Amino acid sequence: MKSRSYIMTGLFLLLSISLSAQLSNTKTETAKVFGNCGMCEDKIETAGTEKKVSEVSWNKDTKTATISYDSKQTSKDAVLKKIALAGYDNEAYLAPDDVYQKLPACCHYARNKETPAENASGHDHNAMAVAQDSGPLKQVTDSYFELKDALVQSSGELASKKAKSFYDALAAIKMESLKGESHDAWMKVNGQLKEDAEHISETKDISHQRDHFNSLSKSMYALLKASPAQATIYYQHCPMFNDGKGGNWLSKENGIKNPFYGSQMLTCGKTVETLK
Amino acid sequence: MKLSLIKFILPVLLFLLAQDVFAQKTVTYHLYVRDTIVNFTGKQKHAIAVNGQIPMPTLTFTQGDTAVIYVHNELKESTSLHWHGVFLPNQEDGVPYLTQMPIEPGEVYTYRFPIIQHGTHWYHSHSELQEQIGMYGSMILKKRDNDPIFRKGIDDLPTVPLILSEWTDYKPHNVERMLHIATDWFAMRKDAVQSYGEAIKAGHFKTKLGNEWKRMLAMDVSDVYYDKFLVNGNADRIFSPKEGNRVRLRISNAGASTNFWLRYAGGKITVVANDGNDVEPVEVDRVLIAVSETYDVVVSIPDNKIAYEFMATSEDRIGSSSVYIGDGVRQLISPLPRLKYFEGMKMMNDMMKMNGDLDDMGMNMSLNQMDMNVVMYPEITGPANKKKGKMDHAGMDGDSNRGHDMHGGHSMEDQYNSNKLSDIVTLNYAMLRSPENTSLPEGPVRELRFELTGNMNRYVWSLDNQVLSEADKILIKKGENVRIIMFNNSMMRHPMHLHGHDFRVLNGQGVNAPLKNIIDIMPMETDTLEFHANVYGDWFFHCHILYHMMSGMGKVFTYDNQPKNPLIKKSSYARRKLFSDDRAFHFMAENDFATNGNDGMFMLQNTRWSIGTEWRLGYNDMHGYETETHIGRYIGRMQWLMVFAGFDWRYRKEGIDSHEENLFGQTNSKDDRAQFTLGFAYTLPMLVEFQTEVFQNGNVRIQLMREDIPITKRIRMGFMVNSDVEYMAELRYIFNPYVALRTHYDSDMGFGVGLNIGY
Repeated sequence: MKSRSYIMTGLFLLLSISLSAQLSNTKTETAKVFGNCGMCEDKIETAGTEKKVSEVSWNKDTKTATISYDSKQTSKDAVLKKIALAGYDNEAYLAPDDVYQKLPACCHYARNKETPAENASGHDHNAMAVAQDSGPLKQVTDSYFELKDALVQSSGELASKKAKSFYDALAAIKMESLKGESHDAWMKVNGQLKEDAEHISETKDISHQRDHFNSLSKSMYALLKASPAQATIYYQHCPMFNDGKGGNWLSKENGIKNPFYGSQMLTCGKTVETLK
Repeated sequence: MKLSLIKFILPVLLFLLAQDVFAQKTVTYHLYVRDTIVNFTGKQKHAIAVNGQIPMPTLTFTQGDTAVIYVHNELKESTSLHWHGVFLPNQEDGVPYLTQMPIEPGEVYTYRFPIIQHGTHWYHSHSELQEQIGMYGSMILKKRDNDPIFRKGIDDLPTVPLILSEWTDYKPHNVERMLHIATDWFAMRKDAVQSYGEAIKAGHFKTKLGNEWKRMLAMDVSDVYYDKFLVNGNADRIFSPKEGNRVRLRISNAGASTNFWLRYAGGKITVVANDGNDVEPVEVDRVLIAVSETYDVVVSIPDNKIAYEFMATSEDRIGSSSVYIGDGVRQLISPLPRLKYFEGMKMMNDMMKMNGDLDDMGMNMSLNQMDMNVVMYPEITGPANKKKGKMDHAGMDGDSNRGHDMHGGHSMEDQYNSNKLSDIVTLNYAMLRSPENTSLPEGPVRELRFELTGNMNRYVWSLDNQVLSEADKILIKKGENVRIIMFNNSMMRHPMHLHGHDFRVLNGQGVNAPLKNIIDIMPMETDTLEFHANVYGDWFFHCHILYHMMSGMGKVFTYDNQPKNPLIKKSSYARRKLFSDDRAFHFMAENDFATNGNDGMFMLQNTRWSIGTEWRLGYNDMHGYETETHIGRYIGRMQWLMVFAGFDWRYRKEGIDSHEENLFGQTNSKDDRAQFTLGFAYTLPMLVEFQTEVFQNGNVRIQLMREDIPITKRIRMGFMVNSDVEYMAELRYIFNPYVALRTHYDSDMGFGVGLNIGY
């Protein structure tokens, strides 16, 4: 047992000297790998490099990776697959869409293939489909739902973006286009709406965003209840949010997708009122 | 005269007809079964190849053909072939000792049957564990082009048969043995030991404690660790259709014990048939294909310059295999994230009653609609709630604990409904709808109820707590409509397969209930099936997980007043051989070569019986020598109780520990003793074995023992204490299934360190 471990240590020492960062049966090839920035370089090289198996060095300007590998242990194809699984399209493989989406913003290199709608899970698509009847509040309502969906996904970053578009939609509303009760409600809530939207867009801290979303949703409810309906909207309630004080939101679907907890408690809540 | 003429012409016809496209003809295949050496992992291993290939060749027929298949057995052991899901006369069904005698080495055996259906099926050996090492292949029965139910846009698409399977470097009989002796080596390979150490790190100490309190071993979705997963015997192939942008995949799961998740990088999957029967097209994001099921799916190729990955991931998510559909640069799909085992353990704790029964909490689960396992799927229920470790998700909710503590008050059912919890649409059986009216013909209804039972600790799987050899055949009458109501009261899911018949699954689709021949039933589910008894024979009904079937999880349907099967000449001999699988004894032994002596044991166990000897042999008279031999029978479904008779022998000179009086004041010479004993052992909560025995001289001994407490992934602790004031504590570090480093303290022999060798 002991002598074996001595031999092992000896071998290790020998190997690490002779091989210091080198490979046996080395083959070196180049391949096209797409990317953007220094961070991309880091991620690409880490993904493709495995001790004593392969080494990757990526050139940001030429978008070319130099791949050295032990041809007995791996192949260029296998290394490129690993790089794609880290989010980087290359000559042999395209990265999974969700992995690409999760790359940091600076790494969102332009993809050669047409990317499907910005959001692969189809939320945006739904948002477009409903509320075809375009009233003056359509843009506001649509972007509210997008904001809600971002919170359902627990994505602080996306919620921040969506809150910004919601704010822009609010700013674009012409007061005179709203009539009667709708006008009165607008006057009452539009200040608060803008303030909450601003708060959400300024942070990526999801729990802070959710606090403001609760208040924002109450204003939205007051506004939409007073305005002529464009599509059926459900006013929904989660009794647990805010330490049991509860939280409310609006949804296009009767099914519950809780924006206050996301996947943690996705179906917590119930519809308390249907606006038609 | 006529017969010999046919025999003469046949070999000639065989070549002529094999490629012929006309229906109503004889299609002949020759299958040469041979031992072979394969190398899936870098190591040379034994396997079985047919016509030199794994999987076996794809057999293609058209409805109306007559199939003639010659099996040339060139192995050193017997074999058989079962045509899975195919309607045929009973004696062609290929179950050795039930429908035919096995095909002996050197024998050429002929299967001959008319093809009276269409659909995606497969075939495999039904002998022992041969299916695990290569004996599986696709069997495609095509519709006739002029069939009124021919579906344009589906049945005329380019077709690719895919057969899924798995490979382990362990010999399948050793896998079976290791399952029966409850080694957790497979869990170690999967990194799924769920030890106390790992539980504490994940903030799940209480969960682990609750789990052991309820006498459960670590939870998992499958039992065996596999080295490789295979599609058509190989990973990473590309299929590009010559025309059009849609392809029909005919997928059979030939895995011996692996369910696979099917997912596609190019969009939705359209399911068009299941178990060889058409269903109305249904679009989903993913399908779990259970062991031995078949699914026909249509996928489209959105961009003709891209090949899209179609991935089959093992249910335990340890590995996957892919094919690429299309031509060009390959579009990948994300691998499925690792299971959240401790969440699963918590869920099992909630569902398990103290007596080992499962409690569905009034949820009436059926048809895979509610999948308790979703609590383990990060893509549905969010990433694991780790105390340590990095968070990949930028915006992860910080106060998630608050949510978890309170969910008791909310709809229990939605908690496990995968399709309501997320945007990912998972196929379940309620979504399958036959395009035709599948109502059974008029007939008397016969209702049968089965409870699926078993326990993981001893790897015994059964129906109504009876293994195959313990149960009578189920007698049914021709013309009856047999309705089966099945409840799964065991902790694993079981794909139950009926030979020779399709059954309707009563799934809320009324007269359009889908036809299947396998139903995967999850723990706590109740499913109702019905079939029309229309063909004489002895038909096997069993769990298709190979190692469950071998342990006896099955029954045989037989018809009243049916003609005798001419192939089974000595029926009592055949029955004995059929039952021998689940009656087999499994052997284990170990010995600790320690500084203070040898500790060891060997054991032979089967479904109900256990024969074992333990020994502690010192190196000198002072340490002493002792052996205990027990022959015991396990009682009850959970097998927590064993009654035994045995014999103890020991010899020792006055040693380190001089207690000669036990806690009850009875004296007990340890120096020279030979005693018969009667007693029982009972597994207490926390998996502690409580043993009481009475020796022939009237002495009583009570003992508490626990082995294999998982401290970390590789460290196990154990202890023993008894009323003779003997005690022992041990720690072992496991290197592999055979070797561990062990240190222990024993009241007789003192402290010792040694190498523990086991088999």
